[in-house]
Amino acid sequence: MSAIASQMTKNRSGILKVLQGSPVMGPLAALIIAIIFFATQSDRFLRGENLSLILQQTVVVGALAIGQTLVILTGGIDLSNGMIMALSSVLMAGLAVSSGVNPILAILMGFLVCIIFGVVNGSLVTRIGLPAFIVTLGTYNIAYALVRIYTTSTITNLPAPLLFFGQTFRVGSTEITYGSVLMVILYVIVWYVLRSTPWGRSVYAVGDNPEAARLAGINTNRVLTEVYTVAAITYGIAGLLLVSRTGVGDPQAGQTGNLDSITAVVIGGTSLLGGRGSIVGTLIGALIVGVFRNGLQLMGVGSIYQVLVTGILVIVAVSIDYLSHRRKA
Amino acid sequence: MSSSPSQGKVLLEMKNIGKTFPGVKALQGVSLTVREGQVHALLGENGAGKSTLIKILSGAYTKDEGEIFFEGKPVEIRGPQDAQALGISTIYQEFNLARDLTIGENIYLGHLPRKGFTVDWAQVRAGSQRILDRLGVALSPDTLTSTLSVAEQQLVEIAKALNRHTRILIMDEPSAVLGEKDLEKLFQVVRSLQAQGIGIIYISHRLKEIFELADEVTILKDGRYITTKQVADVTMDDLVKLMVGRDLKDVYPKRGLTPGAPLLKVNNLTRTKLVHDVSFDLNEGEIVGFAGITGSGRTEVARAIFGADPASGEMFIRGKPYKPSSPADAIRNGVALVTEDRKAQGLFLKQNVTINTTISGLKQLTRMGILQFGRENSLVKKMIQDLSIKTPGPEFMVVNMSGGNQQKVVLARWLSVGVRIFILDEPTRGIDVGSKSEIYQVMHDLTRQGAGVIMISSELPEVLGMSDRIMVMRQGTIAKQLSRAEASEEAIMKYAVGGEAA
Repeated sequence: MSAIASQMTKNRSGILKVLQGSPVMGPLAALIIAIIFFATQSDRFLRGENLSLILQQTVVVGALAIGQTLVILTGGIDLSNGMIMALSSVLMAGLAVSSGVNPILAILMGFLVCIIFGVVNGSLVTRIGLPAFIVTLGTYNIAYALVRIYTTSTITNLPAPLLFFGQTFRVGSTEITYGSVLMVILYVIVWYVLRSTPWGRSVYAVGDNPEAARLAGINTNRVLTEVYTVAAITYGIAGLLLVSRTGVGDPQAGQTGNLDSITAVVIGGTSLLGGRGSIVGTLIGALIVGVFRNGLQLMGVGSIYQVLVTGILVIVAVSIDYLSHRRKA
Repeated sequence: MSSSPSQGKVLLEMKNIGKTFPGVKALQGVSLTVREGQVHALLGENGAGKSTLIKILSGAYTKDEGEIFFEGKPVEIRGPQDAQALGISTIYQEFNLARDLTIGENIYLGHLPRKGFTVDWAQVRAGSQRILDRLGVALSPDTLTSTLSVAEQQLVEIAKALNRHTRILIMDEPSAVLGEKDLEKLFQVVRSLQAQGIGIIYISHRLKEIFELADEVTILKDGRYITTKQVADVTMDDLVKLMVGRDLKDVYPKRGLTPGAPLLKVNNLTRTKLVHDVSFDLNEGEIVGFAGITGSGRTEVARAIFGADPASGEMFIRGKPYKPSSPADAIRNGVALVTEDRKAQGLFLKQNVTINTTISGLKQLTRMGILQFGRENSLVKKMIQDLSIKTPGPEFMVVNMSGGNQQKVVLARWLSVGVRIFILDEPTRGIDVGSKSEIYQVMHDLTRQGAGVIMISSELPEVLGMSDRIMVMRQGTIAKQLSRAEASEEAIMKYAVGGEAA
């Protein structure tokens, strides 16, 4: 009898171990279950074109969530990311269309503005020591105001280079956008950098224990400033993806980008306290949100109920993560 | 007193307590008897099962086997409320005080007396004052907790426990956070609680205290009950042998190395209000001990040498001027600091052994900016072996390791960087005798290889056992330098407290 009991505890600790050992396993399991569920509910769900659509619907939030993950890993939070994206996207569109700037140059100028915002965010957090929440709440409003000062009307008739990432190529019968590919490549790069470089380690160390990181010889202020700046560059990429996906420069865009990206990050198992989490989890988190919205849509569920489900999803995902880690302690 | 503490009425009896965690038998057949007005010491290395036993008693864990009797009646403790109802209170090393509230508010936290819809502040004040008086503490109930010293906060914790009609008070290493000076006050308080008939379970790694305070001592090892002895019947050597199976004289390695070339020279190191004109030398192969009471400026000297805080004065390493602008700069110059507070300033608790070990030496483990995981892994495995770090493997999370093994991980971090000057601030605080001895051996080996060690310690036996020379600090300056031959506990204390208290 005790043999059975010990076997049972072994199995249970085995499952917990998998959940704790790799923080990605929980979200991944949820994603697979969601896919199986929706596949049984709708014949169209698993078709190539629908899966490609889910990916396309995920790219913008997916790109925003990369930067958000980096910031949250350091123990911060970035409320400004959606507005930085919006500002860069209307600048890219507006400069190219209204001001007649070379489209490539317009894109680069959009990125430049992102970098400035990133450096400002990072410097205020490190030099003055303000909480990231406050700093990015401020820059959120500043970026929002700048967008509306720059333009209040949607910018249309964009030149080709701005639309490139919305174009598709065929794999079999499925059309995939270049934007989807770019997002996946970005995830791979950031995953590799976080895993395999000293900089990646220092991001986790600073988020885990900033004082210990400093005393271990890490230049914590530099790491933090770099994180906010790199994050802002991913917001610029999100801006470019947004423009190419919608075909316009939209001054109304990006207002919920911060919360949508945080949703992807936390569903992906990254701790808001910093120091623990993974970029792969974030990609899975963004895909889970995308799969639920798309699947519910195919089932004919109204969009407001999709939001409802997203809310429940966040709470359930974080509860599971929290419980699995609390039990360990 | 009517009866001696070893014959007082039995308050608590724990019989054959067992507790199993997945894969680990944490406790097996452990028994403990506590009488009224008795100080019962609980002794054992880290991982011996003391914490598990305490947690069962305070309701944080439930036992799997065994029985608990309170005043002769069998009881079940299913949660903290059950323990509280029986009058069992625990004072942990980490305090549970609301820092922004007053002492009185903290003492009554959770059961503030009411007068209609409002709090009866008069009663809070009067009640708190009564308890503080009972403890012989000269503090006002209106004082803000955040302004208190660590020692005073501990007294507020004790007052809080008394306010809940405590019959049994569990004190988990209460002395670990105190300097020598505050220790005497703690002892007085414990004795007065004892005189009031409270049974006290006292956990400490400092054997000296057990002889000063305890009536009986129960020893645990590897989750098993070893024995219970009258303190009067045993010697310090007996206790160490029972605990670790080794003699006390073997705890400290034999020193007696001839110091080599000058390594570090510090001239007139000064930090406003904290450190004044501190000058000393450190030679290759030498351990220089820094003694003194808490707040005498030892930690501040260490942080200044490590570049963690700005300071004025001159420093030289091997004759070359040294002015660290940051810890990173100090590390490049071959200086390492092992901080006093491992968890707050040393470890990355959400990370594994590997990340904690190599974080300061990642540059050596990269090729073209990319980490070489193979090299990293073999380095960490070698460190685990060299320092006999007890861990299932490099992937194990440091948060689940004992204090001694965590400290070894921090040491491993610096050993793998190739540092020559080690500053160790309270290197064995809260660590069991077995691990202590291993850490001493590491320090000894380092100096044999030509490194220099600055060791800050509040444990006088450790200062005497390990140091080649001793700097006694008082009020931010070096009050006296003592050679190994001149040094004694009395001499150190004399200069540490100076004229004011001695």
